[in-house]
Amino acid sequence: MIEKRLSMRDGRRLVKPSAYGGLAIILFLLPLFLKSPYWFHILIITFVYIIATVSLRVITISGQFPLAHAAFMGIGAYASAVLSKELGWSPWLTIPLGAVVATGIGVLIGYPFARLRALYYAMVSLFFGVGIIQVLYVFQRWTGGYSGLMGIQPLLSATTYKLPYYYFFLGLTLVCLLALYRFEFCRIGISMKAIAQSHMVASSVGINEARYRVVALAVGCFFVGLAGAAYAHYNLTLSFTSFDMLATLWLFMYTLIGGIGSFAGPIVGTAVLFLIPEIFRELKEFLPYLSAAILFIVVFVMPQGLVGLPQLIRSWFAELRKRVAHAS
Amino acid sequence: MLLEISGLTKYFGGLAAVSQLDVYVNEGEIVGLIGPNGAGKTTVFNLITGVFPPTKGKVTFDGTDITGKKPHVIAELGIGRTFQLNPLFADFTVLENVSASFHLRPRSSWLGTYFNTATYRRNEAYILEQSLEILKLVGLDKFKDELAKNLPHGYQKMLGMARALATRPKLLLLDEPIAGMNPDEIDFTLTNIRKTQQQGVTFLIVEHNMRIMDLCDRVVVINFGKQVTEGLPKEVRKNKEVIQAYFGGEHAA
Repeated sequence: MIEKRLSMRDGRRLVKPSAYGGLAIILFLLPLFLKSPYWFHILIITFVYIIATVSLRVITISGQFPLAHAAFMGIGAYASAVLSKELGWSPWLTIPLGAVVATGIGVLIGYPFARLRALYYAMVSLFFGVGIIQVLYVFQRWTGGYSGLMGIQPLLSATTYKLPYYYFFLGLTLVCLLALYRFEFCRIGISMKAIAQSHMVASSVGINEARYRVVALAVGCFFVGLAGAAYAHYNLTLSFTSFDMLATLWLFMYTLIGGIGSFAGPIVGTAVLFLIPEIFRELKEFLPYLSAAILFIVVFVMPQGLVGLPQLIRSWFAELRKRVAHAS
Repeated sequence: MLLEISGLTKYFGGLAAVSQLDVYVNEGEIVGLIGPNGAGKTTVFNLITGVFPPTKGKVTFDGTDITGKKPHVIAELGIGRTFQLNPLFADFTVLENVSASFHLRPRSSWLGTYFNTATYRRNEAYILEQSLEILKLVGLDKFKDELAKNLPHGYQKMLGMARALATRPKLLLLDEPIAGMNPDEIDFTLTNIRKTQQQGVTFLIVEHNMRIMDLCDRVVVINFGKQVTEGLPKEVRKNKEVIQAYFGGEHAA
């Protein structure tokens, strides 16, 4: 009996990794069944935003809620696009460089930001994000201003045939997610979560709050910059509106709907909000209302977000079974 | 002398929360810092641990001037503390609260931590073992997987002390360790403090529950941010000024 219970628990422990592995295999084999370039495009954009949302999570676990995250995606994208366009460098070099530029600016503002909390942090980061767009506008000779930046060097030669891009972005996403997962669950991420819960207590046990907050921001900016830079050389045109405050707020929306308390939350939230409007095409123009409605439902019914749904359903069934047993 | 405070003064606006305070703590002692509500006891702790810098005065710990240093630096030098309202890592389990507090000794490098090196894994195994030992010492080992926020008040206070012990302090500052506890919990806490002292930890304790006096080698009484008197517990208990500070001048017997 005990042995049986033990083996069941071991089985449960394998459920999660095997589910993730299975999902990765399905995504790798998907091109065998899916032939539409349009769908590849949707999936590629979803991958880009999954990296962006999960990189935002690294910052939020340290107790910071930056309203400039999409602006850093823009820094990575524009830096890489302009470098490759003006200097003729290969995108394979400028994409990491774009991420490094985003990280550098993240570190620079990280130190003054580390002294701010709550509403002050939100306000300052919000205006920083707005400021970045203004700076991009000032350099319109290179960035193209409000009419957008066009003619960016493609990363891969096949522009109409999306398959190589699909595999590139799938691989990039998996690597980024693994890197960020390790970051969250080693002692570094744990110390960050400690700071978020009580910065007084964390510094009383010797955790250097400012340094951890700067590192969180740097890592988050690196990955979002990377995602933005890679996106630039796929999309081949860039415009400011993809990186403004509204874009950041959408990243928070994906996080909240998916579940702010777990690593899978932002991934699920992003995937759901990108794929549902594609499946139900008529809903697309109502996306803001739909998202707000989902968020309401999540807040009141699913405090853990969409990732808490299986558990919620399980508990509903348990309740139902108990009632049925009671009645008979 | 392990800790020496001289001429410590802190103004909040025009109000002197602490003024010209001199306190010293010898190695191995348990010193009580007592006084009525609002006497400035917690401010003294916050000044020692660098939560804010003093207006004037000097704090020396173990031969080093620590005046105005940052809290995490002071923790690293060997001063641990608990808090009066006892904030915790509320969403961590009891065990995680203690293991997350093992930040200083042993310490793994950033890269070693990220890449899960053998040193990091050895450190983490050691930390787990030591955390369980500390939890056993304060009697919380049976609640190790409980979320910290779900613990009853008295146990939360003990968890606060366990967390401070994880920094391996030479000096431990306890801010009202027995406030709001029932008599059994008080006895248990006092025993724990004794046990920890025997392992070589020095204590400075803020409290206005007079039962803490049973434990102290020496007591410093402050009121309105100034020292009223200092001495052995039994002397202080009879001191007129102390009685006055606690019960008011007019009605003093």
